Amino acid sequence: MDFGLSEQQRDVQNLAREILGEQVTAEKLAKYDSYAAERFDRELWQQVAQAGLLGVAIEEQYGGMGFGFFEAALIAEEVGRNIAPLPFISHCISAAMPVQQFGSAEQKQSLLPGVVSGEQLLTAALMEANNEDPTQPRLCSAQAGGEAVLVSGEKLCVPFAEQADYLLLAATDGDGAVVVMLPRKAEGVVLEAMEVTTYEPQYRLTLSNVRVGAENILARGEQAQQLLASVAEHTAAALCAHQLGASDKAMRMTASYTAERQQFGVPIATFQAVGHRAANCFIDVECLRLNCYQAISRLDDGVDASVEVAIAKVWAGDVGHRVSYAAQHLHGGTGIDRDYPLWRYCTWLRHNEMMLGSSARNLAALGSKIAAGEAFCA
Amino acid sequence: MKVEFSAEQNALRKELRAYFEALMTPELKAECDESMGEGGGPLWREALKQMGRDGWIGVGWPKELGGRGMSPIEQFIFVEEVMRAGYPFPFLTTESVGPQLAEHGNEWQKREIVPKILAGECLIAIGYSEPGAGTDLASLKTSAVRDGDGWLINGQKMWTSLAHFCDYVWLACRTDPDAAKPHKGISMFLVPTNDPGWSCSPVVTLGGVRTNATYYDNIRVNDDALVGEENAGWKLITSQLNRERLSLVNFGPTAEMFNNVVRWAQQTDLPEGGKIIDQAWVQINLAKVRAGVEALKLVCYKQAWAMTEGQLDMADASAAKVYGSEFFIEVYRLLGEVIGQASLINRRTPGADPIASRIERLYRTASIITFGGGTNEIQRDIISAAGLWMPRASR
Ligand SMILES: Cc1cc2nc3c(=O)[nH]c(=O)nc-3n(C[C@H](O)[C@H](O)[C@H](O)COP(=O)(O)OP(=O)(O)OC[C@H]3O[C@@H](n4cnc5c(N)ncnc54)[C@H](O)[C@@H]3O)c2cc1C
Ligand SMILES: Cc1cc2nc3c(=O)[nH]c(=O)nc-3n(C[C@H](O)[C@H](O)[C@H](O)COP(=O)(O)OP(=O)(O)OC[C@H]3O[C@@H](n4cnc5c(N)ncnc54)[C@H](O)[C@@H]3O)c2cc1C
Repeated sequence: MDFGLSEQQRDVQNLAREILGEQVTAEKLAKYDSYAAERFDRELWQQVAQAGLLGVAIEEQYGGMGFGFFEAALIAEEVGRNIAPLPFISHCISAAMPVQQFGSAEQKQSLLPGVVSGEQLLTAALMEANNEDPTQPRLCSAQAGGEAVLVSGEKLCVPFAEQADYLLLAATDGDGAVVVMLPRKAEGVVLEAMEVTTYEPQYRLTLSNVRVGAENILARGEQAQQLLASVAEHTAAALCAHQLGASDKAMRMTASYTAERQQFGVPIATFQAVGHRAANCFIDVECLRLNCYQAISRLDDGVDASVEVAIAKVWAGDVGHRVSYAAQHLHGGTGIDRDYPLWRYCTWLRHNEMMLGSSARNLAALGSKIAAGEAFCA
Repeated sequence: MKVEFSAEQNALRKELRAYFEALMTPELKAECDESMGEGGGPLWREALKQMGRDGWIGVGWPKELGGRGMSPIEQFIFVEEVMRAGYPFPFLTTESVGPQLAEHGNEWQKREIVPKILAGECLIAIGYSEPGAGTDLASLKTSAVRDGDGWLINGQKMWTSLAHFCDYVWLACRTDPDAAKPHKGISMFLVPTNDPGWSCSPVVTLGGVRTNATYYDNIRVNDDALVGEENAGWKLITSQLNRERLSLVNFGPTAEMFNNVVRWAQQTDLPEGGKIIDQAWVQINLAKVRAGVEALKLVCYKQAWAMTEGQLDMADASAAKVYGSEFFIEVYRLLGEVIGQASLINRRTPGADPIASRIERLYRTASIITFGGGTNEIQRDIISAAGLWMPRASR
């Protein structure tokens, strides 16, 4: 049990904090509100790439730093703290990491150096209509076409699909699943922009008989299931880290605001009702932090983390919701004024909560694990 | 960061679990049940000495002090396991007062008292609260007045738990009634309960737990009894409470209860067919408890780790106490709902289910630590001030 960051982890965290803290300002974020501009700061993305942060979990032979998932999740936390307009999780965690773990030597060689340098953008299509379980694709199917496969179907809410070069995507193929790296420009791929609560670029993806060559098939059968389970867990844990960063920031913004804002001749923070609601947030955020770090620590170590991830998801959903409303309330009207930076955090806290599958579903899933005897306390 | 137990720590836990399985004989269990989870009986005393002889009580203490030299994390694993086994462990003595005496005690206290604590041969009650001094502890009136080369102690304490079978009271006394601030005129003493001027009367609480009113009538002690410096007791009180808070919310018993209820629900038939656990609402209740216990485990071990690093954070200690104490109430409710009506049947009923009757009792005791050990309102004040740098109203 060691709750301290290693020197290497601290370095990565500080680097991410420094760059994002400096570059992501409320003024810049305002440009993307209501989809006035594409919510992707490409200049910042290049800066993050140059600092090596896109390759933090990628092996050195592909130009990466050769660290692990823990360090990558620490960056996701900083992206959350700044709600940075970057496709960090979809690119690094949901797509690049599975390529590195499951891809062939050729696939890794052709994709990963560009992932690290920022020249290639990857994303992952993990959601389907009424199906939020990335491990069980239902609305996309693949037919054999010699060495290649022909993929048809639909995916929803694909982040940065239009901007990406390749999309990680799973389709059913008879008795299992096949996972491909779909070139975005392949024939038969149709993207339709969606508008969502955070203004993140997201797309509905429709595929009709899209031919994916053998060189772009990442995994089949048992391997595909392993890959999808791994993507689901790592993506969830990274979203929890993003939620942690965003909740922590919203809470601290509230603490500072209430310390300054005066009513009845005193700072409103001195009213016990205000201080106590903020204290509840502190406890909540601490519980989220520890469960999130436990999940990423176990994933990083390659030990079973299914119960720990399930629990972190419940906390991330609940804490995001509670902190969002406590922060809004304790700010009074200012909290929802679009000239003050809090409101954007509230949309992201909601986004993460639902992208994680919602606390009700996550509790039910944890409950079935318990019933199956898979979640006893050690 | 590595949020996992080491192989050695897992082995230690296993060893302890086997140890307590053997130690907790049916007779000892029955005696502990009779004492409402407070301990104090002859078998209980003997078992404590046994733990002392076997070197467990000080497993995480430095060797110079008679411990085994492991870290606070191993100490916490030990406390978790002993409490999980259902043994009412006198953690106030061993985990909070003991370390204070080891750190701030005088020669006599270090030589005579500390080794006895680690041997399971000395029990100490906490004497802070008074009829007029609860949350506002610094307003306490029990006095210690210089009397030649010693002190004369007079006053009344309230809620002095375990005092009826303890050897000493760790007693907060006013030694300077004219101090500029009330908390600057308080000193700590170790007062023997076998003094003829000491007496106590029982106070029985909702959960059946006994506590005491204790009386101090012209008790004379010498300087050996003073802990730390004169008028510097407040710091000792607050750091004792910081340590106490961690022990109060130990998650071992809750983890064990969760596991037991899951097994019960897996095995118990529904009249209409299937098992209790097949019901969606039961699974949801259990999932809420499971997610909450996990957080409590991590909050506790983060503090045990912080102690090994020598940086116990005030806001974190308070957060653990608030979270744990309020979570326990939810746990007893959620698990009681799963058990159903049987969670109202007390253990004296012939054939009463041991898990259900435990919940019956614990549900009645759960409020104690939301206000005891430093009330949660004050803990939240501490959290917003120390954890979030929010200014607070002057008191
Ligand atoms: C969309 C919108 C529409 C509105 N429409 C109108 C309108 O039409 N006309 C109008 O006049 N106003 C309107 N208001 C203003 C609204 O009434 C105020 O926002 C409200 O009175 C709170 O004041 P405040 O925003 O200054 O928050 P503050 O007074 O600064 O309060 C901030 C926080 O401190 C807490 N707080 C303050 N004092 C205490 C205390 N003594 N004890 C404990 N907690 C305390 C509050 O509960 C709150 O959580 C509107 C506001 C909004 C956002
Ligand atoms: C079973 C049991 C065992 C105990 N064991 C011990 C023991 O071994 N040794 C010992 O010394 N004491 C012990 N206590 C006493 C315990 O520490 C006190 O009950 C506690 O400090 C609260 O004091 P009080 O009961 O006088 O309540 P009060 O201080 O009167 O508080 C009543 C309510 O007012 C609230 N309140 C008070 N002040 C504030 C404030 N400033 N802001 C907001 N809210 C406030 C409190 O939170 C509480 O909800 C025990 C109590 C019980 C019931």
